[in-house]
Amino acid sequence: MLAVAVAVAVMAPLAQAAPKRIVALTPFTANTLVGIGVKPVGIGQTLGGQKRLSKKLDGVRTLPLSHPNGPNMEQLARLNPGLVLSSPTWRKGAPTMRSLDIKVVMSDPDRIAGVAPEIRKIGKVVGRRKQARKLAASVKADIAAARKGIKSRPKVLVLLGVGRTPFAFLENSWGGDLVSEAGGDLLTAGLDEPGGFARISDEQVLKEDPDVIIAVPHADEDDIPGITKYMRDNPIWKVTKAGQNDRIYISNDNSLLQASTDTGKVIRSVRSRFLKN
Amino acid sequence: MVVRRTLVVVAAAAAALAAAAVSLALGAVDLPLSDVIDALTGSLGEGSTRQIVLELRLPRTVEAAAVGAALGVAGALLQGALGNPLASPDVIGVTGGAGFGAVLILIVFPGSIALLPVGALAFGLLAAGLVFAIAWVGPDAGGVGKLILAGIAVGALFGAGTTAVLTAYPDRVQSAIFFIAGGLSSDGWRELEIVWPYFAVGFVAAICLMRPLDRLALGDDVAASLGVRPRLIRLIAGVGAAFLAAAAAAIAGLLGFLGLVVPHVVRLAGGTSSHTFVVPVSAISGAALLMAGDTLARTVKAPIELPVGPFMVALGVPLFLLLLRRAV
Amino acid sequence: MTAPALEARDVRVAIGSKEILRGADLTLEAGRLVAVVGPNGAGKSTLVRTVAGIQRRTSGEVRWMGQELGELRGRRLARIRAFVPQRSAVPDGVTVTDAVGIGRSVHVGPLQRPTRHDRDAVAAAIERVGVGEFADRKLTTLSGGELQRVQIAVALAQDAPVLMADEPTSHLDLGATVSVAKLLRSLAADGLAVLLVAHDLSLAAAVADTVVVMSGGRSVAAAPPSEALTAERLAEVWGVDASLQGSAGGRTALHVDWLETSGLGIPN
Repeated sequence: MLAVAVAVAVMAPLAQAAPKRIVALTPFTANTLVGIGVKPVGIGQTLGGQKRLSKKLDGVRTLPLSHPNGPNMEQLARLNPGLVLSSPTWRKGAPTMRSLDIKVVMSDPDRIAGVAPEIRKIGKVVGRRKQARKLAASVKADIAAARKGIKSRPKVLVLLGVGRTPFAFLENSWGGDLVSEAGGDLLTAGLDEPGGFARISDEQVLKEDPDVIIAVPHADEDDIPGITKYMRDNPIWKVTKAGQNDRIYISNDNSLLQASTDTGKVIRSVRSRFLKN
Repeated sequence: MVVRRTLVVVAAAAAALAAAAVSLALGAVDLPLSDVIDALTGSLGEGSTRQIVLELRLPRTVEAAAVGAALGVAGALLQGALGNPLASPDVIGVTGGAGFGAVLILIVFPGSIALLPVGALAFGLLAAGLVFAIAWVGPDAGGVGKLILAGIAVGALFGAGTTAVLTAYPDRVQSAIFFIAGGLSSDGWRELEIVWPYFAVGFVAAICLMRPLDRLALGDDVAASLGVRPRLIRLIAGVGAAFLAAAAAAIAGLLGFLGLVVPHVVRLAGGTSSHTFVVPVSAISGAALLMAGDTLARTVKAPIELPVGPFMVALGVPLFLLLLRRAV
Repeated sequence: MTAPALEARDVRVAIGSKEILRGADLTLEAGRLVAVVGPNGAGKSTLVRTVAGIQRRTSGEVRWMGQELGELRGRRLARIRAFVPQRSAVPDGVTVTDAVGIGRSVHVGPLQRPTRHDRDAVAAAIERVGVGEFADRKLTTLSGGELQRVQIAVALAQDAPVLMADEPTSHLDLGATVSVAKLLRSLAADGLAVLLVAHDLSLAAAVADTVVVMSGGRSVAAAPPSEALTAERLAEVWGVDASLQGSAGGRTALHVDWLETSGLGIPN
């Protein structure tokens, strides 16, 4: 009897703590949820780049997102969620969500090393600790495997956006950290700006002479050829090793822009497509 | 009086030369001065130093000088033609139009990114054209009040267009920010090659307008009685200013402040509104200010490049306030 | 008798559908001062601006020095007639010398610089109107009367045989008005053909050789002051009970029954 009472006492809060209706605003949180066996009632629209959502999310209601609050609050309320997994990008909308009696948890790893802990955190919040630990462990192992056998560490410049003055990814950005972990020696190593991006002087680029330049533009498929040509014609980059050896690449999915659960796959892709190490 | 004016001209020229020298000598990468000089005189061999000096710093310095001069002159032309101290390239809608054109390409048609200066230029001129078309029909055609109101309306229209585009593509906003904040890029000679004819037309128009603009000083009636055609002069001044400002925006983003404040500083320093003084000295001073501001923007937090706007304000406003206090 | 500097006949001006001038005549001769007077809306300013070439006319004949107005462009016309408008801009940063230089610019070609001769002419114009001590002062520091005289100097620097001034004394105090009156009269004595649009009838009567009375868009009289400004005409055109009294030496007075109390036995 006592055992049952204790079990109920322990299980009850756990049962309370596992909300049934969950909305995941980012691809990372959405993919993590299905990875631990939870299907959200709503997901956020994927901004920028191609969709990389799990097939298991097909048919789930997609909410359009806009700055700075994220989803339209009325649409969100209609879904009647108990929990929203959000990211700091949409932090301005959190108070409104909380006032609607919705629990809001921020989860957006900004470094590779943060992926596993965040997966576990999500698992804890939705009451799927065991599954989350398993997923986190497998993701961690996949990342480690993806990083095996790095043969060289080319100097890499990673750039965001298009235009005459693109921003360089720093070490404290998702993409910067990922490329770094994939074996790239970031040209911007040592710089640390809030936000993770900064305009880097072209003089520095010339002096550092990168082996590889990766550009992450904000654009659709059809825009890629034009952007590629423009970047390869840049008179400054042309004279770097990257330009001379035709190693200026465009990365058009958002894999370098935000965290994902298939990080290992992304690292492998970066290594084979761009770093060739 | 003439002595004072001569002093101001000499001071401005000296400042411009100094700013140019500093702009060439300093940058994100520390280069010994002797190397910089060697690179400029052609006696340095191939290498990154030569590239940095000749293909980064030199075009950038020239661009800064051209844009600074263009904006200074555009402001002087407009303030003279409209007889209004608040006139600047923003007022004839050019800045708003150029901003819209640039954002359109950066965000909606990024595949055509090579056409960015063309887009900014085209829409800048289109906006100015709209302003002139509106202001030149109906009663009081070409009158100052009408021109200013039309400029504000058209500027607001394109500004709203820009906001709409940014809102529709929120994830691409970052691409546009640097343009909107205003700043030069190290694009070598690429962009200058596209826009230099527009600078040329604008500067030539400015030279031809210096004396006629003086004759507008006592009002349209006096000007008309002297055989001067105030509305025609206003139109040519507007067109010249539009060309200069649109070309400037095409390569340096939105830097309206220069066009507004530099002519005032020049007038206060020289103690005269005569355009044969104000126009050339605004050109020299604008060039000096932007070269100095750009050098700071490139070096203060090297190797990170900051937008140039705040540095120009930091340099220009104290000087302006100082002169303003003395002038009363 | 020399040909008149200006001959204008039956000038008509309509702006939109509104007729402002319905047939006005005007003649100016060297060495004589003509005053154009009339109530508000009679078309005084319009007539003067039209014959000066600043306002477009609908019909009528205007000849300057025998030449049709339509054939005289810009600078050529500016060397024949100088026009002082009712209101001039008073810009910042412009000195008296700069301003008068603007008037002189009709003699400076587009690619030329002002010559010594031009500079002398500017200085002479400044002295002639009596603002020599202000030559380097900014316009914004001058009083109303001083500014008005500078505007006349601007016109004088054009070296034109005709000077036209549109209500130059309307906003001046008595002292300034007197000094401008003396200046205009002396310019006529120098040989200029001077035209003055005036509000003040006693001033007009004192300085003018001929007074042109405008009423309802027509010139209804052109005669010496005592003939043009009779009590009948004052009643007919201005609708007031008044009479003009002049005495030798240019001292005039306009007697006006301000309160129209004659007949009520109240002393005035």
